[in-house]
Amino acid sequence: MAKIFIIEDDRIIRTELCNLLSRYGYDCEVSDQFETIVETALQSNSQLILLDVNLPYFDGYHVCREIRKQSSVPIIIVTSRDSELDELMSMNLGADDFIVKPYNTQILLARIASVLRRSVGNEPTNTVIYQDVCLDISKSIVSFHDKEAELSKNEMRILHLLMKNREHIISRNDIMNDLWQSDEFVDDNTLTVNINRLRKKLEEIGVHDFLVTKRGQGYMIG
Amino acid sequence: MKLRDYLRDKYIFIILQILAIAFIAYMLFTFRLNLYAILFIVTILVGADIAVLLGEYIQKQRFYKVLIKCLDSLDQKCLIAELIDKPSFAEGIVLYDVLKESSKSMNDQIGLYKHASEEYREYIETWVHEIKTPIAASKLILENNMNTSSKSVAEEVTKIEAFVEQALFYSKSNTVEKDYIIKECNLNTVVKSCVKKHSKALIESQTSLAFEGLDCIVYTDVKWIDFILGQIIVNSMKYKKETLHLKFYARELSNSVILSIKDNGVGIQEKDLPYVFEKGFTGFNGRNFAKSTGIGLYLCKKLCDKMGLQISISSVEKEGTVVQIAFPKSKMVIFET
Repeated sequence: MAKIFIIEDDRIIRTELCNLLSRYGYDCEVSDQFETIVETALQSNSQLILLDVNLPYFDGYHVCREIRKQSSVPIIIVTSRDSELDELMSMNLGADDFIVKPYNTQILLARIASVLRRSVGNEPTNTVIYQDVCLDISKSIVSFHDKEAELSKNEMRILHLLMKNREHIISRNDIMNDLWQSDEFVDDNTLTVNINRLRKKLEEIGVHDFLVTKRGQGYMIG
Repeated sequence: MKLRDYLRDKYIFIILQILAIAFIAYMLFTFRLNLYAILFIVTILVGADIAVLLGEYIQKQRFYKVLIKCLDSLDQKCLIAELIDKPSFAEGIVLYDVLKESSKSMNDQIGLYKHASEEYREYIETWVHEIKTPIAASKLILENNMNTSSKSVAEEVTKIEAFVEQALFYSKSNTVEKDYIIKECNLNTVVKSCVKKHSKALIESQTSLAFEGLDCIVYTDVKWIDFILGQIIVNSMKYKKETLHLKFYARELSNSVILSIKDNGVGIQEKDLPYVFEKGFTGFNGRNFAKSTGIGLYLCKKLCDKMGLQISISSVEKEGTVVQIAFPKSKMVIFET
């Protein structure tokens, strides 16, 4: 589980960002002692630092520069300043990515995942297992006991999303939104087809009633 | 200034001169002076008068001719006082001084307003950045506490965000050159990232998307073009029929790339088409769909003009609308190396 250190002076954003990232399986650490934030961030041993620009005592660029002097931990700068100059400056100071507030949370999560993938190498959890159903993300294969089936990209993403959020209902729109973030701009009909194919493949390997339809609300696993 | 107008201005002088000369001639005649002598004197007097009038006319005519010529050639007529030379005759000097004085006072006034509007613009920009923090916070809170009511609030927050963004771009639109970097970018990336940005609303609108031939390089400022595309996408959603089909396709010409965005919405009435880029114009659709502000397309056009892109719109009523943006392919527009 990757650890993320959040440097953000707005208390509400800090806690909510923390909640959001925890829900998606990241470990979060924060601090509101901005005089010593560089040391605290470095001592936290995080795999990623989310950094706001407007901070008390020192601005984010200073913090970024100071961290870079001592560590090569990935830094994503999150700011409401959106000029090209800010972006350029961030990149020149060694930041790995630059996201403008208010961000789409899905995009934020995607950027975090991609920066982590680059720095940590392969994601530590390449398989998701639930009730003996095992989804191998790197190979795009779902297996149950000794049978396995190959999934298409969309089917894999749908199953992954549902398994990550097991026991929660995920609406059709949310599934589509997730697919859209990976350049698969499916419409409603295509989603139905994908879901049906996914069901069929699960049944072929002996998994029944795994993916439940909640009429009018969406789908869930569990 | 025509000679006739000038002479008309001088008619009292001329009449008095004629009367005076006639009187002198009559007096000399009663003194029984030689007729030739009288004629001689009259000729000298008339000649002197004509010389004075003509001299003055030429002087003034030359000054006013230059003045009018300068005025015609000026884009900003208020700068006329800077361009003319100080004339040599008293009347002209008065005019010259008045012009100088009035243009100076006007410059002061303009400076005052320029300063005020600049301050206002800066305030709006800071305000927009300030407001982004609470919006970001609200979005995160809503995201972390998803239920039916928070979902609808999230939709509203997204709308607030869009309006805030529009305000920012509006206030920046007069000074595009201050925050503007032309970069080589792939049209495909630009279009798709913009679609992703509006993914939730597009999915909500039951949109089916199509992309064709977008894999080409254009030179533009990504942030501004993203805003322009966003406005067009939002318009498509606003004026849609039941389901929305959006198609993005590009065509490469010899020296430009034309990006088209086609929807199957309600379209625009033919009589409204020429005015869609005008500020505040809402037209027939605007009246029927209530939410039109007439700012979106106006801003698109303004930004495109500033960036040297051509934007055009064509539409068939009840069938759909196509917006086309032409990007120059020439590297002449690149400022960076």
